Amino acid sequence: MTMWLVVIAAGIATFTIRFVFIALFGKIEVPPALERGLRYIAPAVLAALTVPTLVAPGGQFDPWNVFVPAAIIGGIAAWATKSIGAAIVIGLPAVWLLQWLV
Amino acid sequence: MDTSDIEASWFQGVRAVSPILLGVIPFGLVFGVTAANADVPVLAAWASSFIVFAGASQIALVEVMDGGGTPVVAVMTAIIINARMLMYSADLGRYTAGQRLSRRIGVAYLLTDQAYLVTTHRFPTPTRANGYFRFYLAAAISLWITWQISTTTGLLLGTAIPSSWSLEFAIPLTFMALLVQAVKDKPGLLAAVVGGGGAAAAITLPFHLGLLVGTAAGIAAGMLFEKRLR
Repeated sequence: MTMWLVVIAAGIATFTIRFVFIALFGKIEVPPALERGLRYIAPAVLAALTVPTLVAPGGQFDPWNVFVPAAIIGGIAAWATKSIGAAIVIGLPAVWLLQWLV
Repeated sequence: MDTSDIEASWFQGVRAVSPILLGVIPFGLVFGVTAANADVPVLAAWASSFIVFAGASQIALVEVMDGGGTPVVAVMTAIIINARMLMYSADLGRYTAGQRLSRRIGVAYLLTDQAYLVTTHRFPTPTRANGYFRFYLAAAISLWITWQISTTTGLLLGTAIPSSWSLEFAIPLTFMALLVQAVKDKPGLLAAVVGGGGAAAAITLPFHLGLLVGTAAGIAAGMLFEKRLR
């Protein structure tokens, strides 16, 4: 029962986060500074999502683990081919190989 | 706008997101397996896939409750993990202004990192609103269906998937691929370096706050650098 309440509360809160500015825009003027800042969301948030997972798997700082080189290999593959699938198709086997090697 | 253009937008949305689905499937399986092995009601964990529909926060809910955490901490953790979607909401709001309410609710409910980022990459400025929405909805609905199927499968499989496969690594790989595409100029590169470095440096902060601190620092760095260039 508690878990159900937690899930429903988190669901309502998450929808509110997703909806609040979509609901407000058009009614309020967007400051130009905010408009410019929006352009840097993608690079900033993607790096902030990725780097800690890689250099501190499980919350412990450990920059020399196998996921770091495997992610760099996957990133290079994605950059060279302009394809997201390439990052997985090359990065995942890379981590298996590195895990097998070390 | 003629019909071929409409079909093109739907098709382009599905096609743009399909390689990302390849990374979402393992993540969904990992969530399902985690929930199946945790000491939480399986049905409630399963329902979070369509009630919450945000993978990282769903895993956090299960882990906090499984570890004997209080419900308030569980919900707070989910809110902080999902707070980054405030920024996506602010950006999407530029496109949804003036759209009917049902459409705006649909756009909001389906909002994910992947749907937002893939659409923003394709449509950097709010032009051609209808093509934009078809593209976004096609990508977002594909992600939703994939998430429901893969999390359900993970719950049913339970312990059958060995953790040594490191399937959860598919998600940082997808983000890495989106990142190399998102960096288009020097301020963007600085935003990424500061965002990633800041989040890593702030990793000891509770409730995944480092994610928000790093992102905010990255955006600020990008804007300041852009100002100096002009």
